[in-house]
Amino acid sequence: MIVTLHVIVLALYGLGTALALAPFLGLPSSPRALNIALPCAGAAAHVLAISQLTPVGLGPALSMLALCLVLLQLASERLLRGSAVALFTGPLATALVGVALLSGLTPGGGAGGVEAAGSRNAWFILHVALSVSGVALMALAFIAAALYLLQFRELKARRFGQVFQLFPPLERLDQLNRFALIVGFPTLTLGVLLALGYGARFSGGLHVAKAQIVWGMFTWVVLGWAVWVRVVRHWAGRRAAFASIAGFSAVLLVYVVLKLAQPGVERFL
Amino acid sequence: MSDHSGVGIKVLGVNHRTAPLDVRERFAHGAHEVPVALARVMAAGAEGGVLLSTCNRTEFYLVAEEEPAFETVWSLLGERLPATPASGVREYGYVVRDREAVRHLYRVSSGLDSIILGESQIQGQVREAWEISRAQAGPVLHRLFQTALHVGSRVRTETGLGMGTASAASAGVAVAGKIFGDLAGRSALILGAGDMAELAATCLSDEGVQVTLVANRTQERARAIAERLGGRAVSLEEAWAHFATTDIALCSTAAPHAVVTWERVGHIIAGRGGRPLCILDLAVPRDVDPAVAQLENVFLYDVDDLQTVAAQATARRRDEIPAAERIVEEETDLFWAWYGGLGVVPAIKELRSRMEALRTAELERAFRQLGTLSPEDRARVEQFSQALMNKFLHQPTVALKAAAEEGRGYGLLEALRRLFGMEPPA
Repeated sequence: MIVTLHVIVLALYGLGTALALAPFLGLPSSPRALNIALPCAGAAAHVLAISQLTPVGLGPALSMLALCLVLLQLASERLLRGSAVALFTGPLATALVGVALLSGLTPGGGAGGVEAAGSRNAWFILHVALSVSGVALMALAFIAAALYLLQFRELKARRFGQVFQLFPPLERLDQLNRFALIVGFPTLTLGVLLALGYGARFSGGLHVAKAQIVWGMFTWVVLGWAVWVRVVRHWAGRRAAFASIAGFSAVLLVYVVLKLAQPGVERFL
Repeated sequence: MSDHSGVGIKVLGVNHRTAPLDVRERFAHGAHEVPVALARVMAAGAEGGVLLSTCNRTEFYLVAEEEPAFETVWSLLGERLPATPASGVREYGYVVRDREAVRHLYRVSSGLDSIILGESQIQGQVREAWEISRAQAGPVLHRLFQTALHVGSRVRTETGLGMGTASAASAGVAVAGKIFGDLAGRSALILGAGDMAELAATCLSDEGVQVTLVANRTQERARAIAERLGGRAVSLEEAWAHFATTDIALCSTAAPHAVVTWERVGHIIAGRGGRPLCILDLAVPRDVDPAVAQLENVFLYDVDDLQTVAAQATARRRDEIPAAERIVEEETDLFWAWYGGLGVVPAIKELRSRMEALRTAELERAFRQLGTLSPEDRARVEQFSQALMNKFLHQPTVALKAAAEEGRGYGLLEALRRLFGMEPPA
């Protein structure tokens, strides 16, 4: 059932992505209602699938991240009245669901099996949900920053093509970046605090790998720095966009390095 | 082949296709001149007239016989080009008649005949022309202009002909919108006080932009625009310092060289702290030194850039032409059916009833003079008079009905009323 639902989700996200990309490939735009309905339907099926998942292992983590990205995409569409965010979130969410399907969606044996036993705890579920949401918001800040830089380049170069026509205004993308960072930081902080609290209360109930701690703290520090430069140092526009992109790229890079050092799909790290 | 000499709907005009700007400027009539011009045409026998005068067209819409009304219009226009011979004036003009005249006005009010395809300003200009000429329009043109406004609205609502930003001024607004998003509450500095500056400033103001300053070499005109848009007039020298705070700078002076130079504003803009500044340079030759755009958060657009944006919108609008033309055709048919049948049936009835009254009266008189007639003879004479009247009325009735079907009933009806002394309908 979980796999079947994920296949449906994959198809809906894939179709939604194709519709979002169509105008950029010179094909006619589809009605806005359809552009929203497809990811909405996908997200509904995805929620159903995730409610049956045990949130342990690489597959479930990627699947949850994909859902968070699509939900943020839908919220941004409402905020920006444009499908440009879907240009990034669409392929990313589709790819994440695809990788989740390939890596398996049920917890395996070993450490994963031990974790699965403790994963029914509400604290744990909340920790995973908040942490994944924090990372998804950081990804949204990265996407808004990338869209900002693309639109900025077109406006400076006086090119009035598809990017100019279909991307949201610079100011709105800057606001989206700021919003994603400012909401993302406390969300991730809460997720990290819940992990610490869970570890202290149910000591021994959860295997926490060093890689998880390193990556979690690194992500938290990077996100904190991105918020600090925006809020305290008043960075905005291009400089803030570069900071978001650099921060998220560093987080991704560290994840890849750590994952390569400790391969396997039982844990997300 | 229709006969154009009778009373009918006619358009005599000049527009952007037939006359260059300097000629069109001469032909343009101010609102106060319209009633006077129309009075002269009415005095020449026109039954109704509306004068539509914009920067792109001067058109007399008339319900009239061509002569002498057209002669009067030509001489009216000729007076505005005294150095040009009469034949030269006529070369700038065109005449559209009957159904084509109706279609022409519908296309005009829809923006299909405008330089900027689908522009909406013409709708207001058609309304204004109708209102100024209302006293002289007459029932046919009254209805024609009323329906023209309806057609314009239909085309704009039911098709995408008015979508996008098809003028340089509105393209400027669109570009600024791509930088700032919502323009409401943004501030604008206007350099120059010409028509283009005023039009673009009005476009910005319509989007909620606060026009805070209008700077010009001569203060009087700057003051007039500033007052209308709620800003303040300053000199050009005073304006440079405001590049530090304004969001949008709109430049449209008549200066022969760049006035916004790196030396004047470079250090001021550098002190903005990275806040974006959108500069719209609508002047030819350009007002802004391109070097200013090297500053990171300066977005500089000249007329060519804005025309590129406008041209893209126009290209999208072109796809909507067939749908718009369909509406125009549909509405032209409706008007023409109304116009063709206008009063023909009641006029025929009235004519027959008048003739019948005349026949009865003359028959009674004849019977009195003839003395005693047998009932058979009386019946024969009565039958004869009836047949004679039917024969006389047959051809006019057929001609009127045919003219109504061809949409030319109105003109013939006027002739009928004059010939038989019938009162026009209230």
